[in-house]
Amino acid sequence: MAGGPPKALPSTGPHSLRDMPHPLAGSSSEEAVGGDSTPSPDLLMARSFGDKDLILPNGGTPAGTSSPASSSSLLNRLQLDDDIDGETRDLFVVVDDPKKHVCTMETYITYRITTKSTRVEFDLPEYSVRRRYQDFDWLRSKLEESQPTHLIPPLPEKFVVKGVVDRFSEEFVETRRKALDKFLKRITDHPVLSFNEHFNIFLTAKDLNIYKKQGIALLTRMGESVKHVTGGYKLRTRPLEFAAIGDYLDTFALKLGTIDRIAQRIIKEEIEYLVELREYGPVYSTWSALEGELAEPLEGVSACIGNCSTALEELTDDMTEDFLPVLREYILYSDSMKSVLKKRDQVQAEYEAKLEAVALRKEDRPKVPADVEKCQDRMECFNADLKADMERWQNNKRQDFRQLLMGMADKNIQYYEKCLMAWESIIPLLQEKQEAKFPVTAVLS
Amino acid sequence: MEQATPDPERQLQPAPLEPLGRSDAGLGVTVDEEAERAREEGSGGDTMTHNNFWLKKIEISVSEAEKRTGRNAMNMQETYTAYLIETRSVEHTDGQSVLTDSLWRRYSEFELLRNYLLVYYPHIVVPPLPEKRAEFVWHKLSADNMDPDFVERRRIGLENFLLRIASHPILCRDKIFYLFLTQEGNWKETVNETGFQLKADSRLKALNATFRVKNPDKRFTDLKHYSDELQSVISHLLRVRARVADRLYGVYKVHGNYGRVFSEWSAIEKEMGDGLQSAGHHMDVYASSIDDILEDEEHYADQLKEYLFYAEALRAVCRKHELMQYDLEIAAQDLASKKQQCEELATGTVRTFSLKGMTTKLFGQETPEQREARIKVLEEQINEGEQQLKSKNLEGREFVKNAWADIERFKEQKNRDLKEALISYAVMQISMCKKLSGLHLVWTNSYLCFSAL
Repeated sequence: MAGGPPKALPSTGPHSLRDMPHPLAGSSSEEAVGGDSTPSPDLLMARSFGDKDLILPNGGTPAGTSSPASSSSLLNRLQLDDDIDGETRDLFVVVDDPKKHVCTMETYITYRITTKSTRVEFDLPEYSVRRRYQDFDWLRSKLEESQPTHLIPPLPEKFVVKGVVDRFSEEFVETRRKALDKFLKRITDHPVLSFNEHFNIFLTAKDLNIYKKQGIALLTRMGESVKHVTGGYKLRTRPLEFAAIGDYLDTFALKLGTIDRIAQRIIKEEIEYLVELREYGPVYSTWSALEGELAEPLEGVSACIGNCSTALEELTDDMTEDFLPVLREYILYSDSMKSVLKKRDQVQAEYEAKLEAVALRKEDRPKVPADVEKCQDRMECFNADLKADMERWQNNKRQDFRQLLMGMADKNIQYYEKCLMAWESIIPLLQEKQEAKFPVTAVLS
Repeated sequence: MEQATPDPERQLQPAPLEPLGRSDAGLGVTVDEEAERAREEGSGGDTMTHNNFWLKKIEISVSEAEKRTGRNAMNMQETYTAYLIETRSVEHTDGQSVLTDSLWRRYSEFELLRNYLLVYYPHIVVPPLPEKRAEFVWHKLSADNMDPDFVERRRIGLENFLLRIASHPILCRDKIFYLFLTQEGNWKETVNETGFQLKADSRLKALNATFRVKNPDKRFTDLKHYSDELQSVISHLLRVRARVADRLYGVYKVHGNYGRVFSEWSAIEKEMGDGLQSAGHHMDVYASSIDDILEDEEHYADQLKEYLFYAEALRAVCRKHELMQYDLEIAAQDLASKKQQCEELATGTVRTFSLKGMTTKLFGQETPEQREARIKVLEEQINEGEQQLKSKNLEGREFVKNAWADIERFKEQKNRDLKEALISYAVMQISMCKKLSGLHLVWTNSYLCFSAL
């Protein structure tokens, strides 16, 4: 198992062990957070179902818990090991506390951005500002402009069909908040992007609109030069590695799209199943009212089915809120990465064209003109940045998907455990002998 | 319409002791002790001592089902399923069973047996047959009578039917039942010869009685009400359960789509590849696990169905009571009116309307001799009527007593059986949850192993 690759930073961002609980943490996270720095050798710990000493009243369900050997706690250990082997963090960013603002012209949501840093680029050790989606969008455009050789993380979708989705519903806002938090954490983790001035302003400025209006040109040298790369150059040969990345991204996005569709279909089927279950349980109650000796057992079964229904509802909600958004985010990510690859192609194409032009001029001077050298420089920097980012991206992707898939599996396990407990709790009720309760002369008992 | 009197010709000697409860293949019926006592006391009419059938423990099983073709009553070719009924007697000493009888019967013969029992034992809650046509199906199950799953479930249901009769203290003694198990040829003729169809109450009469009876026993009225409600609630339950099964099937099957895409995705990944491949594989296992789950649930549905049909049998007993009570009321009414007529004739006052009285008025007074004659006839009729009323009353009370005894027996059986059914349903759910939870755990462990490499 060992600690993971030391250079890669977990994409979910640095965790201040005190402030930021692990996203998957249930009640079992205490053991993981408790400063256990040695990697756990027992990945294959078996779950024991009979361990719980939960005394449930008939039909009661405990509040969501995960059993000691849950995969989320195992995941916590792995995550921590990565952290400890990684670099020390000096920048922490959190997005939380969504608030609705109602103005004459419009209604919108703002999110609180809290920044803690020891970096010299920040005047104060701590900042707290409010930003709305528009602001995030501005930041992203600025980053794309100023750091065109890097992969900029995606934002959650901008537009929502007004009639279909409620932009102000708790679920929607929370899903968006999580995605925005992820966005900023990814930038925070990036060794180049996190030092970008626009990012700094975004995190610290009291009034972002002033900066937006001023349109401060904070373009880096690279950004400036790449900006002026004209298209229209035809690329001769794409280096194998970048061709491979392109192909990979195509297939990757395709597969994720399919998985997204399947997941949506599953959710739909689960909802329909839930509808039927909600009708099924109460029929046992109706029956129970007719009976004497069987009344309690039947009522017990009814309550049990009710609990299972609730558990299923929670599972379906989790899938919608946690699983689907990540799939969509990676599809968007792939798209934006493809456009960066295209830009790289153009830079290379320009260089090659200029080089060829020089070669054709058949000058005696072997020295390469300055502007061709510049192009070569540009291309090589671009290639290097892109390669580094790709590697970072691959690592983060691996971790994100590990967390995602394990998280879903864990949620499923929790669902089955809730159902299991519900059914186990009524067995004694069903087996109970009811002797003196119902007199023999009663008509229907 | 008479209640079948215990006919020694139709009844066999001893009765079994414990009722069976659940249908397990080849459960035995213990009859020995009762047989001993019966022989000692010399009770019962004809002792079928030459027949040792009931004196040993017997096992009944419907062990096979076979498709047959034959010609029906209208000489048209038809396909039907025949079921093999095997009866074994178990030796006391070594527990070995010996096949004593084996014959083939089709569903219609089972129906004939049941209809016969309904007529001759109207005070008994007669065990129901499994359904004739598949109802409450969800989409995967076929509604076709020839479908092998349906045939198999019907085989089990028929076996259960026979076991229920064999374990009933009164029904098990019936000769026709005995012959059903032992006499392959001519059995149908033998049943028909009893003339039971003639003795059956007409449905119209029964319906009439239901609406017109004035003083039925309240317990039966309540019981009928209960059986109506029971039938309604179990039907509802079975319908919704079928829909639930349908939906659950859908959920699992869509998960099956994951398998291929995860596999394709794993092909383009380096480090994640193995983990994803494993994920895909587990999705396939998950998707295929639904078939066993739902098959187990069908067994539970069948247990509920039996009691759905039992509700009908319960109602039949109540209807019989209503019919008898109505009959009694009519007879009493008739007697009362005749007595009054007699009185009027004797005293010369006319209070009640009678045709004779009418014609007398129209066509002239009758002679004293004529009147005497009429009074005499009436007195005879009154006498007869009183005898009849007395016997009907007796019959009625006997019926109520015997019926209620069987109803109490039935109630205990029902409570026991349904509790057991609910327990096994819960156990089934528990094992399913454990299995599926375990599957996910195996998958997560394997994924984590792969991704840690």
